[in-house]
Amino acid sequence: MSKKEPVIFVIGWNACINCGVCVAICPQEAGFISPFDTIAVDRPCDIACLLCEDICPVSTITHKPA
Amino acid sequence: MPTSQYDLVIIGSGPAGSTTARFAAQQGLKVLLVDKRQELGAPIQCSGAVSRHALEEVGVTPDEEFIHEPIYGFGIYNEKGERTIIDYRRLKPDEYGAGEGQKPLGYVVDRRRFDRYLMTQAERAGTEVWLKTEGLGYRPNGDGGCEVFLRRFNQDITVKALVLVGADGLQSQVGKWAGLRTHIKITELASCLQFIVDQVETEGLLEIITGHEWAPGGYAWVFPKGHGYAEIGLGVIPTMTDKNAQWHLDQFIHQSFFKERFKNSRILEIQGGGVPLASPLRTQYADNLILVGDAARHVNPITGGGIHTALSGGQIAGHFLAGFLNEGTPPTAQNLEGYQNHWLEELGNKMWKLYDVKTDIFRKNDIRERDALLYQTMASYFSPHSEYKKI
Ligand SMILES: Cc1cc2nc3c(=O)[nH]c(=O)nc-3n(C[C@H](O)[C@H](O)[C@H](O)COP(=O)(O)OP(=O)(O)OC[C@H]3O[C@@H](n4cnc5c(N)ncnc54)[C@H](O)[C@@H]3O)c2cc1C
Ligand code: SF4
Ligand code: SF4
Repeated sequence: MSKKEPVIFVIGWNACINCGVCVAICPQEAGFISPFDTIAVDRPCDIACLLCEDICPVSTITHKPA
Repeated sequence: MPTSQYDLVIIGSGPAGSTTARFAAQQGLKVLLVDKRQELGAPIQCSGAVSRHALEEVGVTPDEEFIHEPIYGFGIYNEKGERTIIDYRRLKPDEYGAGEGQKPLGYVVDRRRFDRYLMTQAERAGTEVWLKTEGLGYRPNGDGGCEVFLRRFNQDITVKALVLVGADGLQSQVGKWAGLRTHIKITELASCLQFIVDQVETEGLLEIITGHEWAPGGYAWVFPKGHGYAEIGLGVIPTMTDKNAQWHLDQFIHQSFFKERFKNSRILEIQGGGVPLASPLRTQYADNLILVGDAARHVNPITGGGIHTALSGGQIAGHFLAGFLNEGTPPTAQNLEGYQNHWLEELGNKMWKLYDVKTDIFRKNDIRERDALLYQTMASYFSPHSEYKKI
């Protein structure tokens, strides 16, 4: 598998409904969470599978290069 | 502060955690139950449908404190709007109904009140409960017990326990702490959205709408919510659609055969969440640790219902751990496998069967064939003559 570039997530808090689905699907090790029960937004994700973006019911997760 | 010693520390006070706590405390264990939330069940990530039988089985009396509305049966729809009604008021009028001596089949509950009620029952049985307390990690300490790291109102606290119970729901981190394989496949996690609405009529039935057109990989629902309100929602599997759950819910409300019925609907609340339509975890235990409820993927893979399985799983875990620790058995992974075996016998093997049924449906590539099979399966699942033993 080709190595993905690390990303930093940006969550549109205005649309986020705190459903926690992004955390549930995330294969990261324990603790890759924000205080609002979403995936972490304060540090890069080097797996970058983007499943969290795909599953968000209101599509409020985007990313930028870390 | 001296480190306190408990028999059990339970992370998460949803139906699974509080029920485990209640049964364990009733049988004399010293139990600490923690939850990071300030109000249990909030924000709501659940539709709240649960059978009366599921409550009675674990000694929970249906109480108006948490009941939104009684339920008497099901309406199962195919993608065109043709339906099978399974109304127990008509099928078994002696037993089911709103009259004297009759009973409901189940309820739609308010998860905020329900979870608080269950926690209170655990507390009255002798459990110590800490809210605003997040579980951060654990470490087996070599002398048969473990240390559990908590943060309570910004204060870091370490407590000692013989067994740590991960009842921390779908987003479970506890299993990851122990290196268990908790990952859910993207093809098996439904992304759900629901609206509580005014101005939509219901008839005491849980309505389930199947069909790829409305909810690819899952289904849509209309549940009565008390006070004349209803709940309209759906769950979709992300790999089966390019659109998100929000788009599909909008389509369902405005374009489906229900568009007339929903025409005046007004949104009162917006809720979402994830439902694992997956198999239970293959390994739900480690040294000084077990998982229960959504954390162990104890969810019915056909209906997505997880309250019943969380309650019964909690009862199984609470009983098992009380018997186990009261006898002084060392809580090693090897010994705790007994919990999982017990659970498989009582509940899990049935869930594995349902998982196979579900997998066979979604393995069909032809959409029409798959739609027909899902509709048939749902309709027969809820019928009184169901070949599937209800869980
Ligand atoms: C949209 C939707 C609709 C649903 N509808 C139904 C339905 O109608 N009927 C049904 O039977 N099931 C339904 N379900 C499934 C049901 O909600 C779950 O299966 C059920 O809540 C599982 O209970 P639990 O106790 O395992 O976990 P949860 O109820 O998720 O409880 C977990 C608890 O752990 C706490 N927690 C998590 N991490 C930590 C931590 N690190 N430290 C401290 N506390 C922590 C959380 O705050 C939470 O209180 C639905 C789910 C969704 C998403
Ligand atoms: S990209 Fe993948 S690994 Fe990274 S946060 Fe999202 S789901 Fe988790
Ligand atoms: S999946 Fe989307 S809506 Fe749900 S918690 Fe994550 S960012 Fe928020």
